[in-house]
Amino acid sequence: MPAAAPGPAGASPGGRISGQALLILPALGLMLVFFVAPYLNLLLISVFTPSHQAPYLRVFTLANYGHIVHDPFTWQVVWRSLWLGVVTTGLSVVLAYPLAYHLARTPRRMKGLFMILVISPLLVGVLIRTYGWMILLQDTGLINQLLHAVGMRRAPLMYNQTGVLIGLVHVFIPFMVLSLAGSIQGIDPELELEARSLGAGAWRTFWRVTFPLSLPGLAAGTILVFVLAISSYVIPSLLGGFTVITVPILVVRTITELFNWPGGSAFALLFFVITMLLVWCYIRLIGRVTRPVT
Amino acid sequence: MAEISLRGLTKRFGNVVAVNELTLTFASGELVALLGPSGCGKTTTLRMIAGFETPSHGRVLLGDRDVTEAPPEKRSCGMVFQNYALFPHLTVHQNIAFGLEMQGVRRADIDRMVAEILDKVGLGGLGKRYPRQLSGGQQQRTALARALVINPSVLLLDEPLANLDAKLREEMRFYIRSLQREFHITTLYVTHDQSEALVLADRVAVLMDGVLQQFDAPEIVYRRPRTARVASFIGLTNLIPGRVAARAGDDVVLETSIGRLRARGPEDLGGGMEAVLSIRPENIELGRREAAVAGDGVNRLRGIIRERIFLGSFFDYRVDVGAGTLLRVQGGVHAVHQMADEVTVAFDASSGWTLPGGRG
Repeated sequence: MPAAAPGPAGASPGGRISGQALLILPALGLMLVFFVAPYLNLLLISVFTPSHQAPYLRVFTLANYGHIVHDPFTWQVVWRSLWLGVVTTGLSVVLAYPLAYHLARTPRRMKGLFMILVISPLLVGVLIRTYGWMILLQDTGLINQLLHAVGMRRAPLMYNQTGVLIGLVHVFIPFMVLSLAGSIQGIDPELELEARSLGAGAWRTFWRVTFPLSLPGLAAGTILVFVLAISSYVIPSLLGGFTVITVPILVVRTITELFNWPGGSAFALLFFVITMLLVWCYIRLIGRVTRPVT
Repeated sequence: MAEISLRGLTKRFGNVVAVNELTLTFASGELVALLGPSGCGKTTTLRMIAGFETPSHGRVLLGDRDVTEAPPEKRSCGMVFQNYALFPHLTVHQNIAFGLEMQGVRRADIDRMVAEILDKVGLGGLGKRYPRQLSGGQQQRTALARALVINPSVLLLDEPLANLDAKLREEMRFYIRSLQREFHITTLYVTHDQSEALVLADRVAVLMDGVLQQFDAPEIVYRRPRTARVASFIGLTNLIPGRVAARAGDDVVLETSIGRLRARGPEDLGGGMEAVLSIRPENIELGRREAAVAGDGVNRLRGIIRERIFLGSFFDYRVDVGAGTLLRVQGGVHAVHQMADEVTVAFDASSGWTLPGGRG
């Protein structure tokens, strides 16, 4: 390990850098084994030929991609997944921002308690939590019983997009709150006071000072929630009752019910590429808006 | 431009009284320094004037207008914070334009007014920079320009020089003073730095534990402090406890452990009362032992030099005058005394000031 310590003769700048580079090796190894390798495997399967006797035949073909791209149902499902992701993200922002602001401006001794409350949805397993929602939301569930008791019509809250959205927003909102709170905490409260003394009311102070300065946190939060929401499987299947078909649901079905491994792989990869492109465009856009801040 | 009037202004945080029954009026166009040690309530007072803090009771008046209940944006206070609070996502130009935009000034007028004030504070041509690309002094000027451009009725400065290095701080004092004169704007300047307050202010309000101690011109606060705490907070002083033996007019004779001393004192100080004599180090003269001739109106003592520190333009001595009393004396470099020298210690009765005793 001559690079680790700067010796009198052998400590070149290049040696220092390779020493630091060693630090990323564990994470890099983990990513290679559990992320890159499976995706490469997926890529490989997606260009093999489907078969009924085996998961796939080792015969090269691009037909899997051709089928998917030309099937209008594919695009309908992709569109619905993205739409659910966008609406989940939007609702999370609206609900999380006031909470995050409050959290960021809370005195330190209260902060720990609020923090635990915020991340509490993550402390219960996704399956249990979703069943909990089902008890509340089903046609004979608590909410509908209440509605009925006060003489209102029952509302269909489950086995449709509404149910899926409620579930998704509930699970992923902590990520939005924490990202936003981190950013808002870095905004000096005196900036807001200064804006007020310069004649800006509370509302204009928010839009001209607080909001633009919180954009980095907003960017991180929206990307996290969007990506998590569109790749979610348990919540859309249980609360959607297989009436709301999303990409993950369709991929799993293609593989486990139709035994079409190559078709499912191709679909998964196509959606991966679409998502990457969208996120990349979004980061570019946000970067342009927030450049002066960072 | 308006006068600021505080009437019985009080702020409590739980059981703590941060500001207690503060009544003060600043004349129009006056620069008042609100001076006190940290935690004395001076910043809380400023925040109540700006509208960032609601008084527990009492009123705040700007001119004839009672603004006690008004939100900050309706008060027309120009505010400069200690760390300037420049908007990091806006350029210097946009920072200064912010207040004008809020007032609904036309775009063309805004650009002209911002350019004018940038020239006035010596930042012409820097409008396109972001705050982080400016030096500390330039940031300070930007903050001043932003506060002044909206033509506020009062200017509030919260420790505006505390983040600058010593040399720049010295320069900026005179700069702020001349800017304030030019705009002729009523200004409240909060500081814990007594020399800053003395140099800058028309009048100094000394605040301790939320209570106003004294509100006078700098020279009076320095030479005729009202309490021993004010005397020792503002500049250096020697405090010698004693009892009033006699008094006639301004003159006071004090019986102390180092002998009878003559000084001046306030009218409400009666014979027999406990008192403290305050004498500033620069007002004491050291002489050769032989030169000890008592004269009228001059106090003379014998002492021994116990400590001597060279401070460039003068020496700082500690002189033992007996009865366990060490006097601090600052003297010129031309008459140098050595350690353990026996000397005479002399000060004029007119430069000694008697304070009510019992405490401090």
